[in-house]
Amino acid sequence: MKKRFPFKRIMTSLLVGVVLATSPGMTAQAEDLPYDTYNYDYRENVVLTPAAYVPTGSITGQDLGIDNFVEPQDLCVAPSGEVYVADTKNNRIVVLDHSMTEVVRIIDSFVRDGEQDGFRMPQGVCVSENEELYVADTDNKRIVKLTPEGEFIKIIDNPQSEILEDDFEFTPLKVTVDYADRVYVIAKNAFEGILVFESDGQFTGYFGTIQVKITLWEKFWRKIASKEERSRQQLFIPTEFTGIDIDSDGFVYASNIDSEGVQGVRRLNPKGEDVIIKGESQNLGGDIFFGVYGDYAGPSEFIDVVYREKGIYSLLDRKRGRIFTYDREGNMLYVFGGLGSQRGTFNTPIAIEVVDDQIIVLDSFQGAILSFGETEYGSLINDAVALRYDGDEALAIEKWEAVLKLDENNELANTGMGKAYLTAGDNKAAMHYLKLGMNRKYYSIAFKRYRNEILKENLSLIMTVVIILIALLIVYNKFLKARLKAKSKKGGLT
Amino acid sequence: MKELFSKDKWKYAFYTVSHPMDAYYEIRHRERGSVPVAIVLVMLFSFSFSINRMAASFIVNDVDPLSVNALPELISVFLLYGLFCVGNWSITCLMNGEGRLKDTAIAVGYAMTPMIVCFNIGTIFSQFVTEDEGAFYTIIVGLGIAYAVIMALMGIMQIHNYTLGKTLITIFLTFVAMFIIIFLALLLFDLLNQLYNFVYSIYQELIFRV
Repeated sequence: MKKRFPFKRIMTSLLVGVVLATSPGMTAQAEDLPYDTYNYDYRENVVLTPAAYVPTGSITGQDLGIDNFVEPQDLCVAPSGEVYVADTKNNRIVVLDHSMTEVVRIIDSFVRDGEQDGFRMPQGVCVSENEELYVADTDNKRIVKLTPEGEFIKIIDNPQSEILEDDFEFTPLKVTVDYADRVYVIAKNAFEGILVFESDGQFTGYFGTIQVKITLWEKFWRKIASKEERSRQQLFIPTEFTGIDIDSDGFVYASNIDSEGVQGVRRLNPKGEDVIIKGESQNLGGDIFFGVYGDYAGPSEFIDVVYREKGIYSLLDRKRGRIFTYDREGNMLYVFGGLGSQRGTFNTPIAIEVVDDQIIVLDSFQGAILSFGETEYGSLINDAVALRYDGDEALAIEKWEAVLKLDENNELANTGMGKAYLTAGDNKAAMHYLKLGMNRKYYSIAFKRYRNEILKENLSLIMTVVIILIALLIVYNKFLKARLKAKSKKGGLT
Repeated sequence: MKELFSKDKWKYAFYTVSHPMDAYYEIRHRERGSVPVAIVLVMLFSFSFSINRMAASFIVNDVDPLSVNALPELISVFLLYGLFCVGNWSITCLMNGEGRLKDTAIAVGYAMTPMIVCFNIGTIFSQFVTEDEGAFYTIIVGLGIAYAVIMALMGIMQIHNYTLGKTLITIFLTFVAMFIIIFLALLLFDLLNQLYNFVYSIYQELIFRV
């Protein structure tokens, strides 16, 4: 980043730029983007990259021919492909078709025990694998289970358990359902974790508690503080989860706001333990480099997570409106998105989902769904990572090669190429790429093989040199000793 | 000058490595050491340090080669060296130390020799190691540093004719003295700056009014 370019190179690049800009028919997409796209390299420097996703449009209620969305809070894509929007302040669920151009139906009421019933501020929506609709009916303090057409099935409310406090009020915010129809609910003031309900609506307990971190310094202060002072200090309560999604293996991805900016997402196994894999940088907190003062200071604040496929997941940051995408191994793949008032930027991003190869983001203030389509760069990375997830690293070379043509600093692509060369047996090329990819472990393996190769090829030469050296040493020693003896004799005589 | 850089003096640096106690005694009492050689050794150490960080193999080295700059490192090594010598001299003067400033400079400078050797051997050796053998590299460099520290300790002990306990106390006090010197230097610079500003403003007043 701090490199100084010689004048000549600047001039040529300027010239090339002018030629490119003036030539007709060129799509200068990167310059038109309302946001920066970047990644972090091994040394945690910001490296600008080509865009992985570009804005493709935005949909408001008006575009669909209905009343505008008012502070919608959640999105869900059903297995059938329909898109469900929790239009919170309008107390309704809007169902869009797969292409998001038409309204399929609007669910704002249902018949329950022969009586008309409706929602109050529904903040979460989810459709299960068996095509059943779950709505987190926030102000009615219940989860409503409906058929996709809006016919009432069941209500889950008022969980009863010893582990809940007596005055606990069940205020569901986000809901998701796994393959066994277990319901996972993020509720307001439920700091112990995600509430889990069995398919029959029975509350079974908390899930995936975030441990509170207390530093030694804070412990020390609490020790010396008086009771009154302690009561006035802020409480050490764990952060709440903000968004949930379920992957194909039934593991729960849950985002949370981490004030340290180290881990903003968890992958919870059925026991509720965090089994997410962190990458080389040990960081799953979005931006590594951020300001300390001002409006946009501080670490990223993840508001929602979407599991995509093949171990890839995307996180939505409400602080700077960016979308961070990681692979299963915790490598950051690409970053895009931003806050603003231009087309393709957010004001208050609140929920993220995936429709085919599009990423859709719900903006609560704009009341709009913004969609982003993948570019060649993005799709190449997605494909290559998917191939690696399936164990077809050899097939991934072509993809990585193409990625390198677009972005030669891409460390993942360099590592991918290096690993491919390593399996092919070209250790020298493997070393070259693995060094560029800053992958110490595999570089070491490649180096070891390369070293053995050279030793094997030149074994006779090396042995000859060693033997000659030893012989010379013996001769020299004898000669030296003889001379020393002669010297001492001489000295003795005189 | 020629005498100070003679072959004997250079050989003596290596004799110091193999026989630190005897050699440091003779440095103090028989003028066997040489300050210019010590300064050159410190310079060599600084270069070896920079080269090691820049050129040691990627497998054992996590430093960004672009971030290494030999000149500022040379300057800071010399500043620390000078500061340590002056600090040690000013403390030992008050604590019945027999050594002169010259002797401290030589003692610390000669103690750099094992580090120079080990850092360079480590740099070359690192070109041939894999990740599992990286421990050997760490041992080589670690040995160099440990031996240098022991040599410096022996040197200071011997030239001032101290016991080990007293040497350790003196070294601790030396660091305190170094901090005081830095503090005073900063204070002085600040005062000089203010004085300069004062004179300059008077000058400007005169220019504008007269």
